[in-house]
Amino acid sequence: MFEMTIAIRHIRSRRRQTFFSVIAVALAVAIIIISMSMLSGFMKNIIDVTVENQAHITVSPREDEDFIFLYHGLENYIRKQEGVIAVSSYYQGEAALQYRHNAEGVALFGVNPEDEDRVVQKEKDMIAGDFGSLDLPGRYMVIGSKLARNLDVDIGDTVTAQFPGSAPADFKISGIIQTGTQADETAAYANLKRVQDFYNAGDIITGMGIRVSDIYAANTLANKIDREADYDAVSWMEQNSEILDLIETQSQFVLIFYILIFAISGFGIANILIMIVMEKVGEIGMLMAMGVPRKSILFIFLLEACILGMAGVMIGSALGYVSALFLASYSIPIPPEMYFGMDHLPILIVPENFIIAGIFAMAIITMAGIYPARRASKMNPVEAIHSV
Amino acid sequence: MSDEKIIQITNLTRIYVDGVEIRALDGVELDIEKGEFLAIVGPSGSGKSTLLNLIGILDTPTSGTILLKGIDVTKMSDKERSRIRNQELGFIFQYHHLLPDFNALENVMMPLLINGMKTSKAREKAREMLEEVGLGDRLYHRSNQLSGGQNQRVAVARALVNNPSIVIGDEPTGNLDSKSSDNIYELLRKLNREHNQTFILVTHDERMAAKTDRIIRLVDGKVVEDSRKV
Repeated sequence: MFEMTIAIRHIRSRRRQTFFSVIAVALAVAIIIISMSMLSGFMKNIIDVTVENQAHITVSPREDEDFIFLYHGLENYIRKQEGVIAVSSYYQGEAALQYRHNAEGVALFGVNPEDEDRVVQKEKDMIAGDFGSLDLPGRYMVIGSKLARNLDVDIGDTVTAQFPGSAPADFKISGIIQTGTQADETAAYANLKRVQDFYNAGDIITGMGIRVSDIYAANTLANKIDREADYDAVSWMEQNSEILDLIETQSQFVLIFYILIFAISGFGIANILIMIVMEKVGEIGMLMAMGVPRKSILFIFLLEACILGMAGVMIGSALGYVSALFLASYSIPIPPEMYFGMDHLPILIVPENFIIAGIFAMAIITMAGIYPARRASKMNPVEAIHSV
Repeated sequence: MSDEKIIQITNLTRIYVDGVEIRALDGVELDIEKGEFLAIVGPSGSGKSTLLNLIGILDTPTSGTILLKGIDVTKMSDKERSRIRNQELGFIFQYHHLLPDFNALENVMMPLLINGMKTSKAREKAREMLEEVGLGDRLYHRSNQLSGGQNQRVAVARALVNNPSIVIGDEPTGNLDSKSSDNIYELLRKLNREHNQTFILVTHDERMAAKTDRIIRLVDGKVVEDSRKV
């Protein structure tokens, strides 16, 4: 491999330029890794918030119906599906809650607290009381934290639920929940049976939440339920398609910046290679006279680009890793209203980002090497030798 | 000297088109035998370098053929030409063209490595070759640490290390003082005798040309004199 030997010597003979061009690549790689780590952290955070506070799959009544009538059979069918961890049936209705002179419109959910907790993990969001209390005999209610503040109620207070056509019913507040989402202001939970009674409904439900083991397989299962059971099943991805699309669009936008950043470092590499080629004209001619084919000349200079790129990628990855760690530990505050409830800069360090940034950088840098390498390989040996 | 014809040149013409048409070589006919030590002479622009570049297959003729050991080299691919340059031809130019990032030994090893020889074996052969040109004590010096004459000796060692059948020298002593020049000439002469390789030198140094066995004089791209010493 005399090509490799020559390539390494060329690079070593220009230490200073090599240093600066490698640093340029390293900085580009580091910046991109940090940026990707932020985007990954952001994405993961949004998904986490979404999948924790939402059922992974929501089953709704058939198109022309308002309720799921014989829901026990459907529940059994879904429980048998692969990857299903928990199923929670609920009856959702509208109601007004009144406490003294305060009244608020709410979305009233009738649930089996144990099932509901397994699907959306309510218990860990409780800031007062517990979610399991809804199973106690009697009428108990868990409400969102903002709703509690608006009604000015606390644990132990009794609120009155009202709905046209239903008899007003008293519920005792047994818990307050805070999820960090809109639901804190609008949601109230009570036992399924009591809510069905309140609405004068039989043993019917308005929906079903499902938790699955692989959140990215939710779409597939949702489609299967849709097809086989003929109920409208929607995955968290479809429900949040707007946010996910937004992130997707942003990723594509960011990609343009990545390409530009890499292009800048690519020019740096092209520059040093052009300098080497210009300086080595006579040498290239002599190599040809010694019997080095044009292809090998091309290869030598492409190798040089790859070596410089590789050094840059390695240093840049290390730099990016350390910087990302630093940013993650420093926990830089950001306004939560603008960032879906995140209060600090989310950083997620994943190996894929390093691999993608590395491959991307190498591809662009190799491309940057093509022009000078081709120039070297197309030289006329006679002219090259006599140019000195 | 054997009668084996190592180079047969037939009706060789090279025309450069650079705004105007320049006929650098015009129907040259020439046979060169194995082991010959000859000089190509002529005034500037007579085509002697062009002829040498064509024999060295660094350039392609406009028409005519060159047979090296009976094989037409004018229509070969770059890969085949490169292989022949590596294995059958050795080049010495006016400027030594040593690779500045490599020491003397590594420079001489290079043609062997290009030919795919193992590094350890190439190093051994290159060392022997450098000793033969009298530079056994300068193996690890780089070009900028050697004198003009020493550099040219390294270049000679590099040209001969692959044991080529033809050694081509384009003003090989043109950049040296007369003492170094004589030394290089003597060296080439010695190597020619010992290895029975064909040496073709282009020079405008009549004094040096006079010491060769055969002089080919070119004027305006045509052979006007072909004289052998007897």
